[in-house]
Amino acid sequence: MAEKNTYKQDERLDEPFNIRHLLLASAYIKKYLPKMALALIISALGAASGLLAPIFTQKAIDDAIPNADKPYLFLLGGMLVLVFAVSVILGLIRSKLMIRVSQSIIYDIRKDLFAHLQKLPFQYYDDRPHGKILIRVVNYVNSVSDMLSNGLINVILEMINLILIIIFMLIVDVQMTLVVMCGVPFLAAFLFWIKNRQRKAWQRVSNKNSNLNAYLQENIVGARITQIFAREDENAKIFSGLADDCRHTWMHAVRCNNLVWPGIDAISVCIRAAIFISGMILFGQGAKSIGTILAISSYSSRFWQPIMSLGNIFNNFLNNMAYLERIFETLGEPVTVDDAPDATEMQPIKGAVSFRDVCFSYEEGKEILHKVSFDVKPGMSVALVGPTGAGKSTIVNLISRFYNVDSGQVLIDGQDISEVTLASLRSQMGIMMQDSFIFSGTIRDNILYGKLDANDEEIVKASKLVCADSFIRGMSDGYNTEVKERGSLLSQGQKQLISFARTVLSDPAILILDEATSSIDVQTEKALQQGLNSMLKGRTSFIIAHRLSTIRGCDLIMYINDGGITEAGTHDELMAKKGDYYHLYTSQLEDIA
Amino acid sequence: MDKKNKYPKSRLGWLWENMEGRHALFITALLGTALYNVLQLVVPHFSRQLINLFSEAQKTGQPLSDKEDTIYTLIGLMVGLTLFRVIVVYLDCMAYERVSQGTLFRIRNFLYNKIQRQDMKFYSTYRTGDLMTRVTGDLDAVRHNIAWVIRSIVESITLFCSAAVYFFLIDVGLALCIVSIAPLIFFIVLKFRKKVGPMHKALREKLAGMNTDAQENISGNRVVKAFAREEYEKAKFDRSNQDYRDTNIKTQMVWLKFFPFVELIANALPVILLMVGGVFIINGRISMGDYTAFSLLIWAIANPMRMMGNIMNEFQRFSAASDKVMEIYYSEAEIVDHPDAIAHPERFEGRVEFDHVSFQYEDGKLPVLKDITFTAEPGETIAIIGETGCGKTSLIQMIPRFYEPNSGSVRVDGVPVENYKLTDLRKNIGLATQDVLLYSDTIEGNISYGAMALTAEEVEKYARYSAASDFIHHMPEGYDTIVGERGVGLSGGQKQRISLARALAIRPSILILDDTTSAVDMETEKQIQHSLRNLDFPCTKIIIAQRISTTKFCDKILVLKDGRIIESGNHRELVAAGGYYAELVKLQLGESLVSAS
Repeated sequence: MAEKNTYKQDERLDEPFNIRHLLLASAYIKKYLPKMALALIISALGAASGLLAPIFTQKAIDDAIPNADKPYLFLLGGMLVLVFAVSVILGLIRSKLMIRVSQSIIYDIRKDLFAHLQKLPFQYYDDRPHGKILIRVVNYVNSVSDMLSNGLINVILEMINLILIIIFMLIVDVQMTLVVMCGVPFLAAFLFWIKNRQRKAWQRVSNKNSNLNAYLQENIVGARITQIFAREDENAKIFSGLADDCRHTWMHAVRCNNLVWPGIDAISVCIRAAIFISGMILFGQGAKSIGTILAISSYSSRFWQPIMSLGNIFNNFLNNMAYLERIFETLGEPVTVDDAPDATEMQPIKGAVSFRDVCFSYEEGKEILHKVSFDVKPGMSVALVGPTGAGKSTIVNLISRFYNVDSGQVLIDGQDISEVTLASLRSQMGIMMQDSFIFSGTIRDNILYGKLDANDEEIVKASKLVCADSFIRGMSDGYNTEVKERGSLLSQGQKQLISFARTVLSDPAILILDEATSSIDVQTEKALQQGLNSMLKGRTSFIIAHRLSTIRGCDLIMYINDGGITEAGTHDELMAKKGDYYHLYTSQLEDIA
Repeated sequence: MDKKNKYPKSRLGWLWENMEGRHALFITALLGTALYNVLQLVVPHFSRQLINLFSEAQKTGQPLSDKEDTIYTLIGLMVGLTLFRVIVVYLDCMAYERVSQGTLFRIRNFLYNKIQRQDMKFYSTYRTGDLMTRVTGDLDAVRHNIAWVIRSIVESITLFCSAAVYFFLIDVGLALCIVSIAPLIFFIVLKFRKKVGPMHKALREKLAGMNTDAQENISGNRVVKAFAREEYEKAKFDRSNQDYRDTNIKTQMVWLKFFPFVELIANALPVILLMVGGVFIINGRISMGDYTAFSLLIWAIANPMRMMGNIMNEFQRFSAASDKVMEIYYSEAEIVDHPDAIAHPERFEGRVEFDHVSFQYEDGKLPVLKDITFTAEPGETIAIIGETGCGKTSLIQMIPRFYEPNSGSVRVDGVPVENYKLTDLRKNIGLATQDVLLYSDTIEGNISYGAMALTAEEVEKYARYSAASDFIHHMPEGYDTIVGERGVGLSGGQKQRISLARALAIRPSILILDDTTSAVDMETEKQIQHSLRNLDFPCTKIIIAQRISTTKFCDKILVLKDGRIIESGNHRELVAAGGYYAELVKLQLGESLVSAS
């Protein structure tokens, strides 16, 4: 279940060829079927008009030239121009149609893939390197477009072509047609042999590319860590190994891939030889006329042409199937946290939060929370304390339903949160996480993320409240300063203040601060606290912090340990109890004193 | 814009340089292409002769058995030469694959090395998604150029030239009529190039933009969910997705503007042949046989012309992509080993001196550090304390030379840091950054990141030092537990402790902790402080901290405000001085005392 993946591991292969993927792919084509059918008809017309050209040429050679009839010759030339013009125009229309169709198919797949990724739970992102997700959205989708659009049309066209030629051949001579067709079993065996090897070979290519992408992404993001540990040479070796894997799997895959074309070519020439030889023998016996042999030999070359292009398409198909499988695998990834089918909108939250016998585990058999129950009244401020890893973050994550509980209920205002839509629930919560993520863009953009339609006044107000206004104004362009990816020019404390402003701006009914101020200095935090207190009035808040000065004033302090709440009460109550909290508090005091 | 002198080498020159070691194979492959294309023209010659024999027999009614030997020879030649051609084609393809994959491998490694050795300025200029596009998508265009574009050019030229030579040998006049059309194609293709070149540049930017958007969304997935901004993100991605689609369509449509003209010219060839050739036959200038020879080979003139558009299109894609790749390929980091840097493989003593150091970010308005002077003696512990954004992190980043001072100097063991080789300097420094970054690897792999030869016992020892061994033991797979990218799945405090263990594991002579215990609870922090005081190796410690409990035992405390050191001394001295630090102590201690009483 929770199978974690790193850049060193290949992703699991879906062993049997999954026909479901093709069905899913056909859903994307469906929308464009009319256009594709039109393109198909146009192509067929173009091909048919192309067939007229040899007729005119033939007439010229047979009639006009021997009779030295120049006007007729020029007339035929004119007809030829006309035929070509028609086929060029038809070709142009088909291209125009299909360029749009194939790009639209990519667009649709990518859009759905991205939308599905938005629904996938934290777990999905936690279990694999992000580079492996990225390569699917961008690189893989690009690869499959042609196969699903032009590939399909060409298959149909070539099939029609092939069938027509077989019919013509059968009309001319059944026996000789069989000679031509006797190449087909060889071809089928050859393609079958290739298919089995190629599918795995291309899957390996995609796996190795995925690994490389994962390693690359991590190392670009973590360049500073590499440098501080002076690991450049070692990393270069690892990267080189991954790049070498890519090269070898590729070379292995193309070893068969490149065989298809020459292979079909070789089979076709053998068949031609067979036609001449058998024709000669049969003619010798008086069984066949030479005209028949000539006709069949010319058909045979036209029989192999569509087969060649089908072979090419087939090759492409095998190659792209590896990518398509990965795309649909991601699209098929189960959404574990989703709106219930009959989910309602969460009403404006007043702020009562209750846990009823909540059990939760990230991995089966390892319970993090066991039968946790508590009640928080609207407007209360709640502090969660306890050792790291005890489950404090887990509790607050359950309030926003980032995970589903194993058993029990989480209620807000008496409403089970699994029965309301995620968007209506989460949009009323303000959650500040341990890792404050800064998007690339301006500081303003980053704060605006909390409330997309906020005006400048609101932004400044929120920033002032969290004491971020002064340092932002001190930056080169104030609120319009571009912060680069992950806010590289901001200190960790500044990043926390910006994401704090973002949360404050969203004007949440329930505020959750998960170590939100750990990197902020004590004095700034104190000033921040004052601003926050006025904002917190009437709002329920959950605070996870280690600094006891932050915790002391809370209405309810819960000590979390060993999967449950071991102590709960106000600061004074817990101090009087002389339990875990008392111990924690006094030990901190000793340190300072 | 795309003047070639921007980089030391032209695009193709650069490509050639990176084929090093494969030049002979590449030239062989080019010759192979020429060979199989000539064969492609020769082989049909024999099958035509066969057909002629059969048709003659049909006309004259002679039995075929008379010519059996000739027929078998011709069939043998046809089959033999085709098989030979097929083998050449296959080997040739594989040769191109070998050369292109080899070149790809070489450039990719080179790029990776360039990227990972860059300085901070580079990383704040280039976004991750953009860099990744260069190493993947753009490089693929470079590979494609070798494996397909160059081959197609050779193929087209060979076909065209051999057919043209053959035509001229038969009849100069008719050949001239046909071949003289060719320059028109070049004219059209050159015009096409002008139009499509910028499109490919734009397309490539759109791809990188989409890559960046997707990449940030994936990295920031927690924030997206926390603010329920899925719809917003979808709309945002949709814009870049649409942009990419539209640019793609536009780029492909450019060719459609030129396509009718190219097709017109290519299709004009058989018409010209028919009319001019027809007139020539009527006038008795050429024979019917000559005409047939022309008509059978006319495709070898027409097809290369048709190919030119596609080739030019792909070549422009290569140009746009290779510019992006070369930009990184030829980029130079500003912070590199000085030419006269001295090697210092031995362990440092650990004396760190700042001598009137001032520093300002290039794109910053205000100086970050002003006139910083202090010394940390070997084995000492120095604490740096100050408000958010006062320059603490900038200060410590000058020690491993991530940034260089604008004035003044930073010295380690009495030698300015820029006089050391970067590797020697950094191998002696253990830095645990504020923004913890772990790799998707096992916990053991993460701890031994800087010191790979660690035994399991040693890994555990450093985990114990950083008070991480307890929680690691509680995990189902212990040290073999895989932590996600950036250590997701671990709490902030747990991540910090693993990053501390990683820094300790290299047994640094200078340990720098940038607020490394901010998310760690008090109890655990106490343990960490204790083990830091009792490390089994000598080590100068420079610690950025917020908590008085951390600074209390330090040999020296530097209080930083607006980039200046405003107070320095030990805990007792500073409390006695009654300045900023004393206030801070009062703030943290006073409150506690009030409530405890």
